[in-house]
Amino acid sequence: MDQPTAQLDSNLDLSKLTDRDKQELQQFLANEGQKARIQQTVHSLTDVCWKKCVTGTIRSNKLDSSEASCAANCVDRFMDANFTVIKHLERMRVSP
Amino acid sequence: MEDTKSAVMNQVRQEAAMTNARQLIEKVNQHCFERCVPKPGASLSSGETQCYTQCMEKYMAAWNIVSTTYIKRIQQESAKGAGGGVF
Repeated sequence: MDQPTAQLDSNLDLSKLTDRDKQELQQFLANEGQKARIQQTVHSLTDVCWKKCVTGTIRSNKLDSSEASCAANCVDRFMDANFTVIKHLERMRVSP
Repeated sequence: MEDTKSAVMNQVRQEAAMTNARQLIEKVNQHCFERCVPKPGASLSSGETQCYTQCMEKYMAAWNIVSTTYIKRIQQESAKGAGGGVF
């Protein structure tokens, strides 16, 4: 578990792969990479939204309905804010 | 013995799952420790332990809501074609 993760098992001989396998692997890695980036964002968003939405004492293992809707709103507003930044940067680029 | 391609794929999947789990554990611990153990005593009390279990399940529920909402949103945005390539 604490091994550095960038190393493939040394028993694997990648030179034996056919071109088709290589292509398929490349596609697979691209997909996995995207999945990992999305999961990473979900972790940091959950972190942000937990702090904002779950403020009371923990009394139950479920989110109450206001906490749940707060969490969903939190994600959507965060995205809105994100897009606002991007749009504004774009405007600044066009007319500095 | 499985072929090289599947071996690579499996290793990548395993490492991704491990990273994800490690990340979740770290966050749960960070938030629930703050919430459930405000003043650490000589041992975890049963109340603290109970709070921890609930907090952990609650955090995962929040994670799932965030995940669903976020994925729905990026799908909508990419369908709009806006922000091309931001994600």
